[in-house]
Amino acid sequence: MTEILIDPITRLEGHGKIHIFVNDEGSVDHAYLQIPELRGFEKFAQGRRAEDMPQITSRICGVCPMAHHMAGTKTLDDLFHVDPPPAAKKVREMVYDAFMVEDHALHFFFLGGPDFVVGPTAPKAERNILGVIGKVGLEIGKEVIGVRKELRDLMVEAAGKAAHPVFGLPGGVSKPISPELRDRFVAAAAHAVEFGKFSLQVFRDVVLANQQYVDLVTSEAYTHRTYYMGLVDAQNRVNFYDGHLRVVDPDGREFLTFEAREYLDHVAEHVEPWSYIKFCYLKDVGWNGFNDGPDSGVYAVAPLARLNASDGMSTPVAQEAYEELFATLGGKPVHFTLATHWARLVELVNAAERMGELAADPEIVSPDVRAIPTETPTVGIGVVEAPRGTLFHHYETDERGLITMANLIVATQNNAARIALSVDKAAKALVHGPEVDEGLLNEVEMAFRAYDPCFGCATHALPGEMPLIVEIRRMDGELVREIRRD
Amino acid sequence: MGAGDGRPRTLVLGLGNELAGDDAVGVRVARALLVELDGVADVVESSASGLALIEILAGYDRAVIVDAILTGRNPPGTITEMGMADVGRVVAPSTHQAGLPELAAVASRLGLAFPSRTVVFAVEVEDPYTLGAGLSEPVAAALEELIDRVRHRVRSWATGDPGPDADTSPGG
Repeated sequence: MTEILIDPITRLEGHGKIHIFVNDEGSVDHAYLQIPELRGFEKFAQGRRAEDMPQITSRICGVCPMAHHMAGTKTLDDLFHVDPPPAAKKVREMVYDAFMVEDHALHFFFLGGPDFVVGPTAPKAERNILGVIGKVGLEIGKEVIGVRKELRDLMVEAAGKAAHPVFGLPGGVSKPISPELRDRFVAAAAHAVEFGKFSLQVFRDVVLANQQYVDLVTSEAYTHRTYYMGLVDAQNRVNFYDGHLRVVDPDGREFLTFEAREYLDHVAEHVEPWSYIKFCYLKDVGWNGFNDGPDSGVYAVAPLARLNASDGMSTPVAQEAYEELFATLGGKPVHFTLATHWARLVELVNAAERMGELAADPEIVSPDVRAIPTETPTVGIGVVEAPRGTLFHHYETDERGLITMANLIVATQNNAARIALSVDKAAKALVHGPEVDEGLLNEVEMAFRAYDPCFGCATHALPGEMPLIVEIRRMDGELVREIRRD
Repeated sequence: MGAGDGRPRTLVLGLGNELAGDDAVGVRVARALLVELDGVADVVESSASGLALIEILAGYDRAVIVDAILTGRNPPGTITEMGMADVGRVVAPSTHQAGLPELAAVASRLGLAFPSRTVVFAVEVEDPYTLGAGLSEPVAAALEELIDRVRHRVRSWATGDPGPDADTSPGG
């Protein structure tokens, strides 16, 4: 048997490695993604003041600090048994929606989208934002940068810092929104909605109009019939900030609903010796190996999962886009992993519209943004939808509010089992024998890039050389071949 | 931003996760120089990655970047000074991460002002994965020299010495 190892030798960037084992007949036996992960979170958290957790957890991750900050803040509400005033909840959600827009924009145009906009088989050197600019026009690059800057400036003003927000407190937020800032949120939301509509049109023109891309999106290699989880509001519409968890089965029927506090009753973790990552599965179904179907507890989170798990979007333009997506791809649920990119744009529009709704709500400028906690803290569990999927925080404290136990389930953990399915299936469909074509490797990587997995929650790139190395080894360790891309 | 508003046109950027062991080294350098370089350079710490860094770097003429690196090719604590020409294009396709040359190319294409002189201090680290671990002994031992070299580079620029890496334009 031969192992093919795709290993972007990076610094600490938590890039994963894809291991592909090829048997003596030349076909893929199995493949998986190995993910390095930060260690020691629970120990690190123990003994710290609970109210520091939204700041600490936001510093764990350079990619989605706002998601950790917000999940941590909501966990503190629960921990201190305090219900924030309505205006505080609206401020949090509005700022959070701004974050969703800018993060989704970055992913679609800079990270995952180039695979499609430029083309999955285009040379690697062109599958980046420069390639996108080349195909869609220079203005789009400026627009992505401009929209992100506008939103990040607003987040800085409302939340203290965009990278490490500080405004979330148990029972509310640290300061109200001024009328002037509200006006800027209104204007930015309108701008973001137009940007979102434009982005959807890019997807239609470039991806949907190209049968080759559509065939790839809907191909069996990128299809898994799993369960889907997402946060929904009282009308079962997607909500990123609050609501209850809803799970649909592989046929799209509601399987389960639960509150964040009940997550341990429904989510369990499976351990494999080859990965630090614990693979989440639905307790109600059980672990049945890396398989899809109704008998396997494997589920997915993130944009496509959220759309599948909901009955619709809360805003008009996004609802239209939601209906178009499902009508185009054969109805709910959609099991095509690569459709996640499209779902991400539907969500981008929804977050922009929702931000505008909240900014236009007269209560958003209310000075009543804090309820002071008065009760002894015990156990707190909170949830938000991070851009990459459902994010749970769980803290327990002593009577002084010092952490005795802390647990996080991040989006990539929720998705880990399905990501493993995707890598394995794509490899089996696309790789035949040790003579691996670069384009095929790219397509294997596309399988997990759609999820936008957050490796190690420590992502920041050394601005340096990161060659891709593919090692093909026999099982006894002998190096058969090395392919290096510099 | 540094352009045209009288503020410094030099950026010191310390990259890293301050909680994750040796990954904090860039952040530690930034914090050590924040007050001292006031008025000479903007000192920024960040855990951002890839193309998100464009938003931090845009508008400056010169930049010193300090980051951790884990190659296994040098002993922990080894400081490597690189110009843009040494950095090389990032080609790892896993998450479409971008290195400095690609950032510069994107900025150039978009007409954004981007540092024309960039020096990167990369520090070989031992353990960048353990939360709360602090700096390992060899990396901690290199900290003082690292701070000194960053300080020296910024001061040299301030006094008009273009330094050995004067031409770091992306070349298209």
